[in-house]
Amino acid sequence: MSETTALPANQDEQSDEALTEGIAAEAVGGDFAAMLAVPEPQQVYAGIGSAPIIVMDGNHIVGAAKSVDTLTRSHDVRGSGALGNTQSADRPLIPLDIDRPEHTKYRKLLDPIFAARAIAHLEADVRTLADELIDKFIERGHADVYDEFCAVLPSTIFLRLMGIPLSELHYFLQNKDDLLRDIDGETIAQREARYKAAGKRCYAYFNRVIDEREASGEPGDDILGRLMTAEVEGHSLTRENILDICFLLMIAGLDTVAASLSCILSWLARHPDERRRVVANPEMWPDAIEELMRWETPVPVASRTPTVDMQVGDTTVAAGTQVTVLWAAANLDPEKFTDPLTVDLTRRPNPHYSFASGFHRCLGSHLARMELRAALDQFHKRIPEYQITPGSELKYEALPVRLARPLPLSWVVPG
Amino acid sequence: MRLELDGEACQGHGRCYSLTPTLFDADDQGHSVLLEADVPAGQESSARQAVESCPEGAIALHE
Repeated sequence: MSETTALPANQDEQSDEALTEGIAAEAVGGDFAAMLAVPEPQQVYAGIGSAPIIVMDGNHIVGAAKSVDTLTRSHDVRGSGALGNTQSADRPLIPLDIDRPEHTKYRKLLDPIFAARAIAHLEADVRTLADELIDKFIERGHADVYDEFCAVLPSTIFLRLMGIPLSELHYFLQNKDDLLRDIDGETIAQREARYKAAGKRCYAYFNRVIDEREASGEPGDDILGRLMTAEVEGHSLTRENILDICFLLMIAGLDTVAASLSCILSWLARHPDERRRVVANPEMWPDAIEELMRWETPVPVASRTPTVDMQVGDTTVAAGTQVTVLWAAANLDPEKFTDPLTVDLTRRPNPHYSFASGFHRCLGSHLARMELRAALDQFHKRIPEYQITPGSELKYEALPVRLARPLPLSWVVPG
Repeated sequence: MRLELDGEACQGHGRCYSLTPTLFDADDQGHSVLLEADVPAGQESSARQAVESCPEGAIALHE
């Protein structure tokens, strides 16, 4: 250990300090993800957030809300792109891996497409789709709700948004898994190769679709078509620009809503009294979803790199230092949230970090919120009473995305 | 009581116009637009909620 900061002096806080140091020690070892791959990892994250910054063996980890704000609200900070291209892509993903001033130009193009008002008309579609998926398993009385509901719903909506035929769903789901899942026993080199191969397949697929549309002279009025005809500062997007946006939308959009749905359904399965309250008062869904997004933080971690020396707590972070930002810890900071380790489904205000903060705020946050609201409301109208299937064990993945997979739920089928 | 919106700090989370649509609206990009800088009587608690709900701290309230 090289350095920790602002160590608490009084006895009562000694255990926090020990916890924080213990967690930081784990963070640089291999067991960190395992510690977090449980139904309730909140104590671990809260421990990390109790120090303004943790510096160990050259790793900088920030979990306190104030420190996260310092980093994410600054103009002199780069996002994930400072580490290289996400999922070993050939070029930076747009807008995730690019920073100002380029980032601002692309967000001006993309934000209106994903604005709350622009996607509101899709809600009826999401509810219909949710019903169709539920029809397939409701009479059975049990299902792996991850595979049959959580994974399929956002991917289907993505294909519709992009104007890609639904017959391609399984191709996309397989590629998504190849791009985002870790496989036990795989070496780093093998994993990189798998990412690259899956990435190439996706790029080739989108390339072919764009070719076909160009040949037909009809770009279409879906997102892909809008990108093909869009202009940024008077220039059309290049083919590479469009592909880099498509790949980002796929990586960011297919998995995160699925993960969020699985975490929320798993929590509600384990807390039947709270669930019954929401089922009886469905107007509670928006606040309940915000709170469960805070509690679960399905995207728990990000990377930020200051481009100037920056003061975080008592530590000066040198320009160019990569800092791991833990949204999951900031979401449990008692300076920001009253009684943060209690889930309060009516919590307001709830300025949580689950869609990131700062200029890399999740582009799809409004789409995600709408999908979650529609899917959860519809699911509970059809299946208000359910439980984790007795005898089955819940399995969580912690990083890079937190999810409950499989999610074996069961319910009583009437008559 | 007066609301102030820092348009540079706003990142389009949309909490203000979702929770307090009488005080805030959205532009085409989904960024916040302040409708009522002078908080109308009876909406003081809504104004406070908007301030405290912003993940970017982009809204200030002058009492």
